Amino acid sequence: MSVAIAGPVGAPVTRSDRVTTLLGMVALRQAWLLAVNDLRQEARDLELILTSSFFSLVVLIMLGMSFSALGVSSQPLAVPGMLWLSVAFVGALTLGRIFTREREFDTLRALLVAPVERVSIYLAKAFVTLVILLGCSLITVLGLTLLFPAAQPFAQRPMATAALVLMGCTAYAGVGTLFAAGLASSSGKNVLLSVILYPLTMPSLLFALVATRSLLEGHESFTTYLGQLAATNVLAFVVGAWLFEPVLVGVPQKRRGTARAARRRR
Amino acid sequence: MDAPALLSLRDISKHFGRLAVLRGLDLDLRAGEIVGLIGANGAGKSTLLSIIAGLMPPSRGQRVFAGSEGVGLDERARFAVVSHTAQTYPRLTALENLELFAKLRAQAGCHSEPLLPTLDKLGLGYAAQRQAGTFSRGMLQRLALARALLGKPEMLLLDEPFTALDRPGRTLLASVLASERDRGAAILLISHDLEALVSVADRVVLLEQGVIAGAVPRAPDNDTFGPRVRELAGRMPAVRAEAGA
Amino acid sequence: MKKILPIAFLGAAALIFPVSVKTIFLDTPIENQMGTVQKIFYFHVPLAWIMMLLAVVCGVAAGIQLRRDSKRAEAVSIAAAELVLVTGLGVLITGPIWGHATWGKAWTWDARQVSTGLLWLIFAAYVLVRHYGAAGSERLAAALAIFGAIDVPVIYYAVKIWKTTHPSNDVAGSLPASMWAALWPALIALLLTSMALLLIRVQQELTDVTLDEAWVDLDDAGATKPNPAPGPTPATGDA
Repeated sequence: MSVAIAGPVGAPVTRSDRVTTLLGMVALRQAWLLAVNDLRQEARDLELILTSSFFSLVVLIMLGMSFSALGVSSQPLAVPGMLWLSVAFVGALTLGRIFTREREFDTLRALLVAPVERVSIYLAKAFVTLVILLGCSLITVLGLTLLFPAAQPFAQRPMATAALVLMGCTAYAGVGTLFAAGLASSSGKNVLLSVILYPLTMPSLLFALVATRSLLEGHESFTTYLGQLAATNVLAFVVGAWLFEPVLVGVPQKRRGTARAARRRR
Repeated sequence: MDAPALLSLRDISKHFGRLAVLRGLDLDLRAGEIVGLIGANGAGKSTLLSIIAGLMPPSRGQRVFAGSEGVGLDERARFAVVSHTAQTYPRLTALENLELFAKLRAQAGCHSEPLLPTLDKLGLGYAAQRQAGTFSRGMLQRLALARALLGKPEMLLLDEPFTALDRPGRTLLASVLASERDRGAAILLISHDLEALVSVADRVVLLEQGVIAGAVPRAPDNDTFGPRVRELAGRMPAVRAEAGA
Repeated sequence: MKKILPIAFLGAAALIFPVSVKTIFLDTPIENQMGTVQKIFYFHVPLAWIMMLLAVVCGVAAGIQLRRDSKRAEAVSIAAAELVLVTGLGVLITGPIWGHATWGKAWTWDARQVSTGLLWLIFAAYVLVRHYGAAGSERLAAALAIFGAIDVPVIYYAVKIWKTTHPSNDVAGSLPASMWAALWPALIALLLTSMALLLIRVQQELTDVTLDEAWVDLDDAGATKPNPAPGPTPATGDA
């Protein structure tokens, strides 16, 4: 089974030939291919999904045990935190695992020297992280709804909850992927991942927290908060995509004349 | 007689804080030649490779590949790197590993060779449907090379490709490299394996103290190439110690 | 010039500080509701403003560092981040003192306190990454700083969208003129001190870089092998 690829034999198609292909399209299509590839691999042994889901369950139980004594009036104040703490912990674990694996097999570098848009790598990894986080959030939301009566609005307003969880996890993935990738490519120590991830993702989680609380309390400004959360998503992805290549491989500089070169030429 | 250089490095320096790894290095790579690069451990060979591959910027100096200083999508489509780590996805089969990169190339508007014949060329046809995670190191090496050859690269950079291979594997690799060279590729081959270099390289250069400190071209008569390469290698500290010099 | 400017700033600050203290404690009336402890405001607010300014400076310098691979920008970024930590500590200490005296609670977890604390954490992460990160992590730290700088408007905006026990943003605008008069000297004195420290720290970093380059050049001069021709040696023909 071979893949027939169009194009002149032996000669790459230059950018000017790709007039009908917008740069953005190439990046998106490559991102999708990479993401599907990652998910397909994941489907073969389910390591990441199973371990992250199990971890979510463990966190849920720990939260349940810690806060079971809360009165019904206090619960709306605590449940949002439980949800987003869980996302923060699972997210750190997931990102750490995804990029440890990349580093172990050095596949990130293979992608960086290939004709792959760097931003595609970013988008693909963020997407995979998001998928895992969404799966784990499902467990957490269901669990919280069962354990805490105040979390009933999650079940009563599933669309709103879904939108909220989607936005919150997306913001987390957008910010976290940049830094996890940066650490992996610079052979940085993994311990720094936690140092970086938690402070950086907290602003987004803050917005998510407030939105969740307003959902649980039936506040009418929920949609406003959701909109703000969406705005943080856009910001996270725009900045993350823009910074990805400079962080991972640097920006090529113009020729630097040097005194040493002048000496040598003498 | 001298073709213009496909890759031209001028005054390339790289330092990490106070540690100077490369010090104003000059190197040319021409189409249709295999250049072997030898150097002691820590001499900066892998750093040099990373700079050529566009994975890290030099601290100073100029790197020009095919007339361009950048390492954008177009440039990356025209060269390939085979690292000393296999850089393959263990849970994908050999064929799927190649397919991924072929599709990525296609989306970037680049041609790729047919996949199975490429695997066959490197003696991996029988393992096409096996997950790469089950491969031996030598097989992974060959898979990485297969991936590198997909795009008929104008420049091929190899970092210690002979290390994990058995004798038949080395012979195969040497013949593949020779045929790529004859096709017109410029090949930079980093290796400790002098025997392999002598058998396949057109020129062997020594990286020492951050610069190219010696070069041995293959003379028409061929016989003296081996001894001259060994003499060049003898300048490396470890080899000197071994030889009791 | 490089040495004079920080000294000049520090000298000026040294002159203005006594004036500021005098203005705050002697010339400004004691605020009705909060009493004498309200005077912490005159240190707390300038420190907070300076902290936010330095965070933005750090982020902008980090952006330039990434874009142009500039050592000067990198030095500014490092210096500004460290000063964010210092001024941030000032804010996070004076604030709770004021809060405890005024509202009975040192830390109320309101939006502005949280955001300031977050900003502090982000730049602390920056300093940690710079200190303990591996070779390529300067660029990673720069990305951190950029995100941190973007976080600054969050602080500002947070007060507007959420209910908070902080006095509203308008507190500075609604002060009587005599209290404004006390704020300016404190702000100027603290700003001058911060700028002086920034310049000194930048100079330290740049000196470090210069030393590294001198070391490298020394090394290079010591390696005496001339560079042979990069192509095939003419005498023995080519490949």
